Amino acid sequence: MSALSTEERLARIRLNACLYLRADWLERLISVFGSAQEILRQDVATLSQEGLLSPATAEALLKDAFSVDPQQEWDKTAALGGHIYLPEDEEYPQSLRNCKEPPLAIYVLGQLPAETQACVGVVGTRKITPYGRRVARKLAEELSQCGVTVVSGLARGVDSEAHAAAVRQQKPTIAVIGTGIGRCYPAENRALEKAILAHGGAVISELPFDKPPHAFHFPRRNRLIAALSQPVVVVEGEIKSGALITAKLAVENGKDVLAVPGPIDSPQSGGPNSLIRDGAGVVTSVADVLDYIPQPQRFGLDLRFFKREQQTPVKPVEQLSEREQQVMQAVGDAQASLDQVAEALQADVPEAATLLFDLEVKGFLACENGLYSKSKF
Amino acid sequence: MLATINTASIRGIEGFLVSVEVDIAPGMPTLTVVGLPDAEVRESKERVIAAIRNSGFDFPLKRITINLSPAEQRKSGTHFDLPIALGVLAASDQLSQQAKEQLGRLLVLGELALDGSLRPCAGVLPMLISCQRDNLLAVIPPQNVLEGQVSGMSFITPHTLRELVDYLSGKIDQNTVQLTYTPEAENEPKTELDFADVKGQSLAKRALEIAAAGGHNVLMIGLPGTGKSMLAKRFAGILPPLTREESLEITKIYSICNLMGKSKLLTHRPFRDPHHTISNVALIGGGTNPRPGEVSLAHNGILFLDEFAEFSRASLEVLREPLENGVVTISRAKETVSYPARFTLLAAMNPCPCGNLGSTVKPCTCSPAQINRYRSRISGPLLDRIDLTVNLNPVHYSDWNKLREGDSSAQIRERVLRARAIQQHRFAGTNTTANAFMTPQQIKTFCPLPPQADTILETAMRKFGLSARSLDKILKTARTIADLENVPNIEVKHLVEVMQYRPLDRKGVADL
Repeated sequence: MSALSTEERLARIRLNACLYLRADWLERLISVFGSAQEILRQDVATLSQEGLLSPATAEALLKDAFSVDPQQEWDKTAALGGHIYLPEDEEYPQSLRNCKEPPLAIYVLGQLPAETQACVGVVGTRKITPYGRRVARKLAEELSQCGVTVVSGLARGVDSEAHAAAVRQQKPTIAVIGTGIGRCYPAENRALEKAILAHGGAVISELPFDKPPHAFHFPRRNRLIAALSQPVVVVEGEIKSGALITAKLAVENGKDVLAVPGPIDSPQSGGPNSLIRDGAGVVTSVADVLDYIPQPQRFGLDLRFFKREQQTPVKPVEQLSEREQQVMQAVGDAQASLDQVAEALQADVPEAATLLFDLEVKGFLACENGLYSKSKF
Repeated sequence: MLATINTASIRGIEGFLVSVEVDIAPGMPTLTVVGLPDAEVRESKERVIAAIRNSGFDFPLKRITINLSPAEQRKSGTHFDLPIALGVLAASDQLSQQAKEQLGRLLVLGELALDGSLRPCAGVLPMLISCQRDNLLAVIPPQNVLEGQVSGMSFITPHTLRELVDYLSGKIDQNTVQLTYTPEAENEPKTELDFADVKGQSLAKRALEIAAAGGHNVLMIGLPGTGKSMLAKRFAGILPPLTREESLEITKIYSICNLMGKSKLLTHRPFRDPHHTISNVALIGGGTNPRPGEVSLAHNGILFLDEFAEFSRASLEVLREPLENGVVTISRAKETVSYPARFTLLAAMNPCPCGNLGSTVKPCTCSPAQINRYRSRISGPLLDRIDLTVNLNPVHYSDWNKLREGDSSAQIRERVLRARAIQQHRFAGTNTTANAFMTPQQIKTFCPLPPQADTILETAMRKFGLSARSLDKILKTARTIADLENVPNIEVKHLVEVMQYRPLDRKGVADL
């Protein structure tokens, strides 16, 4: 790979800010004009004529490109301890280079995984159900324990659960975000982002520094998740959802897509169930995921506990008191309110409240909108 | 000729004595009212002219000046008709000597119809109470007889202007102009609405019991049709009965707003449920002539705000002052008045804009951002004043018949009364009336933490994201739960139960 001149690097960072065109189009333009600098020297008419763009696109491209100051992008990213990598750089992940539209530049905070590191995408809906929460947490936890890096999008719901589970295992995890570096969306995940960086993970974005979120950023961002991971696991998502876009992009990039089956009447399981119908792999345990990790990356993984025949036993409910077990039974596999629990146990509100609080603190139950559900398998 | 008649007017919820001075001088026939009269007082002269003529008297065609003193206070209300008419009659020498001599000991209130008969007017009770003097005899319209009886002042209730003049002249005896009325005793709260009617929802019922016992405010979050309004309407039935001072306070407010209806002293705790389109002035009180708003009408009772999140942000924010201080102070350029507004706030809202969040039957179609936006309409400072929040979940039809009967209102009320008695003893000699209104100093004194509480609270803060500022609320509520159980100190289980009533404090992010 030929080293780029500093001017060319800066010009490419400028070009990368153009969000109207797919990254592979930009690359085509570079090959037409010879360099990014050359593109930026053109006027709208020439650019559209020779670059086979509509005048409007050409104008938008130049406007976008000149809306950022590459030196400042560079400085601001460096101030956060981050880097901007181009495909010509050695640090640029090979898996991104191999994808169909490699970004012209990526902004990276933290530590990118080594090329031999196994990375699994865990993606899904923002409107997570208790079931999805359980699954995302368990998968991410066990994958991290094996030494697999969890890749996700730092969104609400499944993404946050997956990242948080990895962080709790003190393992690196990679967040590909749909905003510019230096901005956190949703804002409530700021603490999570910090924790990811503190545990050797990385936050990646191809968008200009501090770019606010936009709906169309996220499908773009999803292609990077798909590119960085092998396989991609879809935990939950409606039939028309971002998670399914990721799955589609993963398939286009030759990645394996796995799906977690769910209840057929749950809208959030509609996506994964339809993927399974279309031939995606079924995830019933972490072993199913590990099977799809490509051979070279398996080296060094700790697979002792996660052979299919050695599934971790169901969390011993036996350690709970009789009354607590009754509560677990009353909650069942669905969601139950305190009223229902109290009714089933013939208990009064104070007693039910105490039992539920204890079980929640012990981590057996989770509560959302006043409804309790099991938080562990 | 000059004549002076005593009457009264209202400022805030208190009355003050007003003298109506009538001067008749030769000159162009005019009638001028001075002394900061409001529009309805200025209009009074047209009614007075007609009433005097239609009662068989002459209206003097001279220059008449009417001064309402103290002249710097604004006067509003229609009850100036009768004193003005009486003053005009006295000043124009149409009263007998015997009648004139009695004018000084009269306190005259009443609106006149054009035919000279008396009409009811607003605010009679507070005016009588504030202007009670020895050997002052009130003259009030017969329709306000109940308020007259409540005030304890001696009064007469003539039916017409002519009847009043005849009485003063000794032409008719007292029985004709003095109504008495004995209302049937109505001290027991209405019983047709009972908590036992509401099946299930034991958590919400428990929260309301705690609220009744400690004076806490409650927010109910639940799907449509889960019984939020049903529970709210039954809440009054478990509150302690009104004391005499309390009922007098509310009766005064209702008297000012002319909402007395047929009752004498209001003995039920008021239940006000304004619609969510209410303007903030109607809610809080005010206007160019300040008038009590819904919060004051709910004084010593319940303010039920259904569809809490649909109220305009401005009207919700004005609730903060009364929730904090129990009074509303309305400042206008010309005057500042305060109305009492110590009420229990019951608020109800859906969990999300579509109303189906948390439903096991219908999926919620709202995006997380929409839900956030919906919930953030209730500001943090306002939520801080609500100690108890409960989620109500629908009762499944299949469970309907299996559900246990809950306690009846009477049973709950008994426990509430016991807890209230403990608090009365605790706060004897202070301004605090219930646990919910404890000062930080009192929280320190009366809410010592049990030994193992630190671990519980720490867990709660870490796991549920409880903030330090919710700690005070947790302690106040725990105090009430302990009172309901009649135990001297807060125990761990009480704290644990309070956690159930703080679902909105939970952070919506994955815990690290």
